[in-house]
Amino acid sequence: MSAPQPLLDVREIEVRYGAIRALKGVSFSVGAGEVVALLGANGAGKTTTQKTVSGMLRPVAGTIEFEGRRIDGTPAHKLVDLGICHVPEGRHVFPRMTVAENLDMGAFRFKQPDPADLERVLELFPRLKERYGQHSGTLSGGEQQMLAIGRALMGKPRLLLLDEPSMGLAPLIVAQIFDIVREINRSGVTVLLVEQNASQALSLADRGYVLETGDIVLEGAGRDLLADERVRAAYLGEEIAAS
Amino acid sequence: MTTADSRALAKRLLACLVGGLVLAVMWGPQEGSQNDYYFELRTSLGFPRVLIFLGIGVVVFLAMTFWPVLRPFLSRPGVWPFLSGLLAVLAGQTLMHWYDPLGDGKFGTVATAVSQTKGISALTSAYFGWLAWTELALVVVLCAVGIALRLRLAAWIGGALAVIAAVLTWYAQHSVVAKGGGIDHSLGWGAVVVGYLVIAFAAGVIALSDAQVATGRAFADRLLGWRPGLPLVIAGVVLGLLAFYVGRWFAPSSTQYNTDFGGLHAVFAPTALASWAMAYLSWAGWVLLPVAVVLAGIAAYLRSRPLAWVAAAVGTLAAIYTLATLYEFSKIAARVAPTFGSTWQNLGTGGWMACGAFLLLGGAGYVAATAESAPQQGSEEAATVSPAAPAQVADEARSRSFLTAPGAARSLVIATIAFALFYPPTATSFWQSVLVSEIGIYVLLAVGLNVVVGWAGLLDLGFIAFFAIGSYTTAYLTNSLPIHPPSWLVLPPLAAIPFAVVICLIAGVLLGAPTLRLRGDYLAIVTLGFGEIIRIIANNADAITNGSRGTAVDPSRGVNNVPHPSIHIGPLHITWGLNQLQYWYLLLVLVVIVVVLFRRLENSRLGRAWAAIREDEVAAQATGMNTFRVKLLAFAIGASTSGLAGVFFGSYIGFFTPDNFVLNNSILVVAYVVFGGMGSLPGAMAGAALLTWLPEFLKNQVPAPDRQMWIGAVVLLMMIFRPAGLLPARRRRIELSADHLEEASSAETIAVPSHVGGAV
Repeated sequence: MSAPQPLLDVREIEVRYGAIRALKGVSFSVGAGEVVALLGANGAGKTTTQKTVSGMLRPVAGTIEFEGRRIDGTPAHKLVDLGICHVPEGRHVFPRMTVAENLDMGAFRFKQPDPADLERVLELFPRLKERYGQHSGTLSGGEQQMLAIGRALMGKPRLLLLDEPSMGLAPLIVAQIFDIVREINRSGVTVLLVEQNASQALSLADRGYVLETGDIVLEGAGRDLLADERVRAAYLGEEIAAS
Repeated sequence: MTTADSRALAKRLLACLVGGLVLAVMWGPQEGSQNDYYFELRTSLGFPRVLIFLGIGVVVFLAMTFWPVLRPFLSRPGVWPFLSGLLAVLAGQTLMHWYDPLGDGKFGTVATAVSQTKGISALTSAYFGWLAWTELALVVVLCAVGIALRLRLAAWIGGALAVIAAVLTWYAQHSVVAKGGGIDHSLGWGAVVVGYLVIAFAAGVIALSDAQVATGRAFADRLLGWRPGLPLVIAGVVLGLLAFYVGRWFAPSSTQYNTDFGGLHAVFAPTALASWAMAYLSWAGWVLLPVAVVLAGIAAYLRSRPLAWVAAAVGTLAAIYTLATLYEFSKIAARVAPTFGSTWQNLGTGGWMACGAFLLLGGAGYVAATAESAPQQGSEEAATVSPAAPAQVADEARSRSFLTAPGAARSLVIATIAFALFYPPTATSFWQSVLVSEIGIYVLLAVGLNVVVGWAGLLDLGFIAFFAIGSYTTAYLTNSLPIHPPSWLVLPPLAAIPFAVVICLIAGVLLGAPTLRLRGDYLAIVTLGFGEIIRIIANNADAITNGSRGTAVDPSRGVNNVPHPSIHIGPLHITWGLNQLQYWYLLLVLVVIVVVLFRRLENSRLGRAWAAIREDEVAAQATGMNTFRVKLLAFAIGASTSGLAGVFFGSYIGFFTPDNFVLNNSILVVAYVVFGGMGSLPGAMAGAALLTWLPEFLKNQVPAPDRQMWIGAVVLLMMIFRPAGLLPARRRRIELSADHLEEASSAETIAVPSHVGGAV
């Protein structure tokens, strides 16, 4: 399934928060044009993995390669220049800026935002077009998530890192957002998705990895994982833990 | 009425009464003594006195409780002008000066003096004895009756009385000056006269029927509907008339020669005054004012752009001509009779007011020339300005208030410039030194700290440390410290500016690099520690900084006062001495340069990056900005501004010690920025100016120990009624007003840029 030369190749990375080993040698790869999902319960290390890829955290061991270039330890702002755009967990929009200003900020690495990008984002998210002049702090949760994704798209990503885009959203909105992610992927953007909502994520993803306390315990094609009993158990167990 | 209602009412009444008691204590007459700690408390809550304050509490309670009943009366035409006129009269009769040569010169003092002076006209002594207050009470009662009962006759009589009161005030004050002589620049009586005239106007409006008011308003709208620049024209006309007909142009210490513009020509006719200046005194001055007024007025009224440019040029040139004339005759007078005061020192207020008036008129032309065209454009124009400004759109749509009207911001800037240029020469030397050593310096500091606190959102409680570093750098480079620079590095103070700025920049980076990984409260504490470290080093590093003695002259250690600034470039020689005004204008130049630079910065890429970091640092990082470097830049730029202020301070004051850089000053600067409105450049300046002005103003008004309490009260009120600050930045305003959020969510759907095509 995976391309011969993966776009992103993560090998044996280990990340520590002080004495705590959050990742104990995680390896995975993302091929160009793929959607890859990282699944797992709370505290499994999904977000840590993604933050390490996006340069916000630095691994103590292991390597990360993007298009064959070592990028572990490169600061986040330089990775954005390479086309790795991160949509952090929890819908970080600039609340006192308008939707328009938020989208402009997404293109911060360019001198000028590309009008074609803006047009595409507003096509993908008609809601943002409706709310164009409104302060993003006044948007609903779903709209803010759309804005966060739209803002990342303004940076012309080649690899889009999505951290829990479904968090705290109504099922209808979640479905909508996953549809849009699929559409983004079809337009040629590779997506690395971190999710707790396993069924949604796996029905979208080409491949998936399951993380458990800092280790990859399972990997496979999205459909296969969806059918896997262990995934179903973990997924159900998580439901119990969350309630 | 339910019990819940009555409990709420009882609570409110209690709160109002307690408020009255607090006010009674605040207005407390005297401090206590060591032997009798409760003296003040007893006096302020003494029996008959406390009734007044409890009464105020009851009035407030009634006003709050019956607000729904009162409200319709308040919206009646004429009520607001009436109340503002009343406020002016009250301020004039309680706070402002009536006659300068006399002690504190306020109304009460003058009244006492009049009662002890023989040979003053009966009307004047009656006025100061009882007439002034009786008149005021009568006017207020008549107008109130007119408003409440819609009794037109009462309003007419009240209005007529107000006019009479205005004339009487004028007459009484002038007869006092005529009797007492001396130099008098007081404005209290003027405030009262203007207040009464406003009341008279309001009474007229009150007396009109609704239909008449409606037609009158429609007529006024048609005639005076908002035109950019017109308010400046009106202000210019008023100021110009005062300048040419009331203000004294020549006021040497000998009253014999005090004269207004009319008499100036006669005084200087026998002297060797240059012919162009003579022309100004004999006819040009009289001609220029109406010409400038008519030009600016017509240009603003007709919105004629070419004419407006002409008006701008004429106004500016007239201001310069006036200034040159002032200089010319002041110089001649100083040469003929040096005892009357040196050049610039023997002038009255009139000439400066004329300069201000011409500048306002020229500014009106400029505003009219540069304003966005077309009249009814309010909403439509705002919607197309930029898609990124919906808050402005909402503002505009909701109320086309004075401040949001097109050209208003420019007008305010021009009025501020005119004030900053031409008010200080007319101020007393006390206020001149306050302007420089308090207001000016702190405005500069606040503008610098605004970058750090307001724009980048980093709470810095050690800002004054950079001010200290700037001051000590200047002292070092001017050879005033125990350690001496190599001789080729000994510089005059102004040449130390680049060095001090760069050193503060480096200091900002050095402090910022290790600490900016911290956030919020942690950063605040670290910077607070840094501020104290710098002060303590300055105190203890005796061999370098001369310790707690500061830059006191000490030949044995080679320590000197920091020299005053001077400029020697080619034919240009300016030496700053003891005249505060010189420093004021130097400071003004520095502030203007910094503000112009910072305005560009605010809208730059870096400014946007600061805004993003302040809003959400994680998101800012995700958009690919180097948040650390951006924050460091904010720190360094703020620090360098502080260093610039330090250079000025050092060479202005000459002698300073580490005690000039205590923690308290850091906190004050933060307070100024917050008070003015975080992240807003005009806000930071206004906040600093107001909060440095207030304590000095209160010096004459309240007992010294009470001062801080009054300032605290003002800050508290401000935080209750304008939580986003005096002149809030656009974003803050939105953050803090909940109803605005709703407003904004219903007022969107605007202005997707045209290049974003049809697909929905």
